[in-house]
Amino acid sequence: MTTYIIRRLLLFFPTLLGITIVVFAVMALSPGGVGASLLTREGGMDPRVRKEVEAYYNKRYGLDKPLPVQYLRWLNEVSPVGTKEAGTGFPQAWGFGFKMPDLGESLVRHRPVIDLMKESLPITLLLNFISIPLVYLIAIVTGITAAKHRGKIADVGLGSVLLAMWSVPQIWAGVLLIGFLGSNQYLKIFPVNGLHDVQSDGMTFLPHIIHGAFERGWLLDSLWHLVLPVFCLSYVSFAFLSKLQRSSMLENIGLDYVRTARSKGLGEKTVLYQHVFRNSLIPLITISASILPSLLSGAVIVESIFGINGMGKLIVDGALAHDRELVLSDALVIGGLGLISYLLADICYVIADPRVSYD
Amino acid sequence: MGNRFGVKDFLLLALLVVLIVSVWLSMAQRDREWKVLESIRDQGDSQSHDLAAIRRALAGGIRLSNAGGSATSGSAEGKEDPFKYVKEAEAQPDYASGDWFIDNLHTKVGDLTPLLASNDLYSQIIQGRVLESLVYQDPNTLEYVPLLARSLPQISRDGLTFTFQLRQGITFSDGVPFTADDVVFTFNWIMNPAVEAPRDRAYFQKIASVTKNGDDEVVFKFKEPYFLSMDLAGGMQILPKHFYEKYTPQQFNTNPGLLMGTGPYMLRDPASWRPGDRVELVRNDRYWGETPPFSRIVYEQVEQDAAALTMFKNGDVDTFIAQPEQYELLLKDAQLVKRTQHFALDTPLSGYSFIGWNEKRNGKPTLFADKRARLAMTLLTDRERICKEVLLGYATVANGPFSPLGKPQTAPDLKPYAYDPARAKQLLKELGYQDRNGSGVVQGPDGRPFEFTFTYPAKDETLQRIVLFLRDSYAAAGIKMNLDPVDFPILIQRLNNRDFDATTLAWSGEVEDDLYQIFHSSQIGDQGDDFVSYANPELDKLIEEARRTVDEPKRMKMWQRCSEILHEDQPYTFLTRRKSLSFMAGRIKNVHPSKVGLNFVGRWNMPCPWYVPKELQKWGK
Amino acid sequence: MVDDMALAPADAPVQADAPPTRGLVAQAIRDTLSGAGAKAGLVWICVVGFCAVFAPFLANSYPLAVKIGGHWSSPLLRHLTPVDVILLVMFFACVILALIRRLTFARKLAIGGIVLVVITPLAYLFVRPPSLDVFEEYRDLAKQGKIEAAIYAPIPYSANDRMRDQPEDRLSPPNRRHLLGTEDTGGDLLSRMIHACRIAMSIGFISTGIAVVIGIVVGGVMGYFVGAIDLFGMRLIEIFEAIPTLFLLIAIVAFFGRNLYIMMAIIGLTTWTGDARFIRGEFLRLRNQDFVHAAVAAGLPVRSVLFRHILPNGISPLIVSASFGIASAILYESTLSFLGLGLVDEPSWGQMLEQSLGVGGTFIWWIAFFPGLAIFLTVFAYNLIGESLRDALDPRLHGIE
Repeated sequence: MTTYIIRRLLLFFPTLLGITIVVFAVMALSPGGVGASLLTREGGMDPRVRKEVEAYYNKRYGLDKPLPVQYLRWLNEVSPVGTKEAGTGFPQAWGFGFKMPDLGESLVRHRPVIDLMKESLPITLLLNFISIPLVYLIAIVTGITAAKHRGKIADVGLGSVLLAMWSVPQIWAGVLLIGFLGSNQYLKIFPVNGLHDVQSDGMTFLPHIIHGAFERGWLLDSLWHLVLPVFCLSYVSFAFLSKLQRSSMLENIGLDYVRTARSKGLGEKTVLYQHVFRNSLIPLITISASILPSLLSGAVIVESIFGINGMGKLIVDGALAHDRELVLSDALVIGGLGLISYLLADICYVIADPRVSYD
Repeated sequence: MGNRFGVKDFLLLALLVVLIVSVWLSMAQRDREWKVLESIRDQGDSQSHDLAAIRRALAGGIRLSNAGGSATSGSAEGKEDPFKYVKEAEAQPDYASGDWFIDNLHTKVGDLTPLLASNDLYSQIIQGRVLESLVYQDPNTLEYVPLLARSLPQISRDGLTFTFQLRQGITFSDGVPFTADDVVFTFNWIMNPAVEAPRDRAYFQKIASVTKNGDDEVVFKFKEPYFLSMDLAGGMQILPKHFYEKYTPQQFNTNPGLLMGTGPYMLRDPASWRPGDRVELVRNDRYWGETPPFSRIVYEQVEQDAAALTMFKNGDVDTFIAQPEQYELLLKDAQLVKRTQHFALDTPLSGYSFIGWNEKRNGKPTLFADKRARLAMTLLTDRERICKEVLLGYATVANGPFSPLGKPQTAPDLKPYAYDPARAKQLLKELGYQDRNGSGVVQGPDGRPFEFTFTYPAKDETLQRIVLFLRDSYAAAGIKMNLDPVDFPILIQRLNNRDFDATTLAWSGEVEDDLYQIFHSSQIGDQGDDFVSYANPELDKLIEEARRTVDEPKRMKMWQRCSEILHEDQPYTFLTRRKSLSFMAGRIKNVHPSKVGLNFVGRWNMPCPWYVPKELQKWGK
Repeated sequence: MVDDMALAPADAPVQADAPPTRGLVAQAIRDTLSGAGAKAGLVWICVVGFCAVFAPFLANSYPLAVKIGGHWSSPLLRHLTPVDVILLVMFFACVILALIRRLTFARKLAIGGIVLVVITPLAYLFVRPPSLDVFEEYRDLAKQGKIEAAIYAPIPYSANDRMRDQPEDRLSPPNRRHLLGTEDTGGDLLSRMIHACRIAMSIGFISTGIAVVIGIVVGGVMGYFVGAIDLFGMRLIEIFEAIPTLFLLIAIVAFFGRNLYIMMAIIGLTTWTGDARFIRGEFLRLRNQDFVHAAVAAGLPVRSVLFRHILPNGISPLIVSASFGIASAILYESTLSFLGLGLVDEPSWGQMLEQSLGVGGTFIWWIAFFPGLAIFLTVFAYNLIGESLRDALDPRLHGIE
């Protein structure tokens, strides 16, 4: 097992290298390229000014160098081992060694990419950490119900409703929710922009009654803002997990130990909930790690629709602005997260099911 | 993990999670409280600091100069009073100080640090409340009015030397006095190549040097006469030396929240703002001039139109910049109209949109190299209908590059060409265009069909509608227009490489527009802004001459001749001048149109004449 | 869909150890089609397909036949594009081939291919519609009273007809003249939705086709060569799996610009990993089975065994993933269009949906509802078919239920 994990960890490096090369190649080979002229975006500049601005950025980001050099330069910056200025990192005296990895600076926003990520990643993770338990809870309940009534109306009905929900495009759901529940043309129940109210900084934390008027407080306000995005993010995953739960239940019911339990004289309920249910959770648990990447893609859509400044929006904005540093770092971080979650899924699998061995 | 995991364990786990979450949340709440406490403590500190200064000053028997503000500025000389409009407001019977003004910028602000985001209009708006310049332009008369300068500068005979006397007794928002050193520092800081201000640097290159002459006099020396020298010298926003000096250029470049000045408002902490935070400016209690009415100005950064509108309707923000459709729709909402104010203003600052016909691509003349072809395109463009149908009447047909509201740069008898497809077809026929093979598209004498690609910025719905309208209009005359929407950075790149047939964009305007950058033939090469490769030697000479002419009436004559040449040559089809449409909360009083838009918001820097009567005040009580 | 099934060739060897493929697939198809859901899905896809083929006849500003000055002419036919003609010819060829019973499927496929190869250059050579569209031409003529008689398409508006002569109709809710209302630009929503069926159909089939082909080739090569190539291939798969498809799509489209063909290619190029994994797995699994050993011992080269015999057996489950793949390709296209990265003038459901919010910041329900519904129904249809196919092909479920 340990050797397997180490091997997989070592294989991370070529894969991450590959991911960034793919993304870099896409940007470099595109018609616009990644040159400095993209940075003098608003036009309306005296050519002399433009020249100067371009020269400045070229010098700063090495944008006039040949493409492989640009890539290697970027790689050197993000890697924890590489050339560095003497006097920093380890060993201090050398020009080569361990150093702090640097994700560079967003070309368009003029800010360190790491700062942008620090701001946006927690928001996306918050959305996901709220929606994952929700998805699981609903999926497990519906999965068990379907398995219990297999072949009957409840099973077929649940199955088709969940499949239908799975097929509803998130963009459509988002637009309709905003339109009918969030816009003042129809029902104005939910807020539709961002995760906090404008006045949230001045709110108390918990709901209060102030001067006889109800004040919802910061916590409730945040939850209120989360309702629609979280719903939009989670409803698509119900079908898949519920189906998994259902088939896993059915599979377990057909196994010998269930027959043994039944023949021991245990009640149907005990068999179902004490034995079958617990064992049927294994595939759901093992798959939990690997749904992270797909939730990240969901975040791209949901955050764009609801105007939430998370990772997804950062990605879209970065790509639209042709922000080389930002897009590359996005690829690196997302790719890394994806790889880690796949590895976790594999490890979970081994822990959950001792019969599986990767060695 | 597998088989022994029971319901009890699950409950335990859930309990643990709830516990951790609540601990974390309570810590977050603690943090929030702590931040508020911190800011209160800061305020207290600075107040006691001030008190100490007052005590010291009283003990020393020196009169404090910033207490009463304007009284000490010693320039109540009528016309030159920078606070004329504020005083008028204060004279109103219902005038009251207090309340907040909550503006929405419709975008995320990336940098508050001056110079860094020199291309970002919105940071400039915020900086304009915190920083002040030596003089400003009166929004109604467009005259210069001294602000940090005691009076308008003495200008040498050759127009190359500007000498400013500085007001005394002004301090920055942290209490440090403002002196000539700060002016000199600002200029040198801009010119420091390590500072990320290449754009400002290039503009200020016309200035040879800025030197101080004692503590309250600075001298700007120009390299050549220039009709906008006053703007350059007087409009430079002064940075406090003692504050920015602490940072290396490297630190300055990477720090988005360094903002301090002499202005009426300030950031509570001039160095800690981070993008994503709310921008909240508080009243600068040490302000030297008239105390500004609002105790706080908040800038929301809501990008989505729908959300911004909702917030405006709910009263969460005080302004809303509308698209024509929204404006129409909102006007139908009687209740909203009753409790708010709305303005549809023409201002020279909003500029004009145009179609640029590229005359040379890959070194070869294009379909539009002949001015008759360009004129035909203009005649085929029903600009009245665009104004009426797409922009719903909130725009006027642009009559050349100069605004009718700025200085009189357009020849008085010049009228825009009317929609005239018959004459356009006649012109095309003269050029030898007709449909010879029944394909529906007219062909030139060489058999080349009149077909071109229209490159334009994607993702703008109004523009998209205009472009589709143009395509259908040209199709009716047998001209095929292919659409090529591209992202803005790519569009700019294509323009720089002259790699397009036709495009549409908008130039923003000034009170007096300079044609050099856009139409002078020197701007064809070197990726200049004459991207349509238009050249006319007569125009070149006129522009050069006008720029050197400091005498205004003489210069206007030259500009007017320029406008005639452009009308004749049609390098662009000048499309529309859009009105700026805005809604404003009803409780804010004294909001009036001026020559440059409303009399306070926007990129025009001026003391704030708006206020909220006591009974209508809403925030910060 | 049904035709795709028969990709499993008739002459696949039925070995003792090998699963009885033909029977299983046939059974699966029968099971699938007997389900009500799958049937409904199939019907909807047929409707969309019909709209895609006959779009110019269903919604067109040009009259099908018109009598001016005593002469009958057909502006509609004159304005047909080569693509319209190819689609129509192929449609009728397929119908005729389906009706002929005597031919084997392979022959039908071959004949279909030949027709396509012949008709494409012919259409591009001889079909020369006017390159300019003045949609209001015949409405103007009718207003001037010059048209004596005319037959119009059921919806007398083309997709790109912005009705310049009726500016008052812009952005009108569903009414008698415009059954589903009009768009912000003035186009008739129903007409645009009908023409958008083409993009929906083509993006699904072409991109999934690309993905399946790449998946089979890469997976096959990996499963065949094993060793270093397998290791390298797995990294390649991991690279593409670790980047969320949507991220890669957004990056590529943002950098390469808006183009339907690029979009199809990219969706194909980024979604092949599942297929490749599956084929590789099948190869590795079957390699060690007795019947393969037997075949190899009998003198057949390994290559021939793997590619001629195992591959066809392994492919049938790919149909399931292809069905889901089509659904997700449609979703990707509409999402990209929604994010503003889609096509501008060509009608597409996602692009229409995008306009429902933000036109002046207001919500226009008919633009939000109908195109979204079309996307949903199509995706749902493919998912239903995919789901029933999967159930039908999953032997474990057979045992239990």
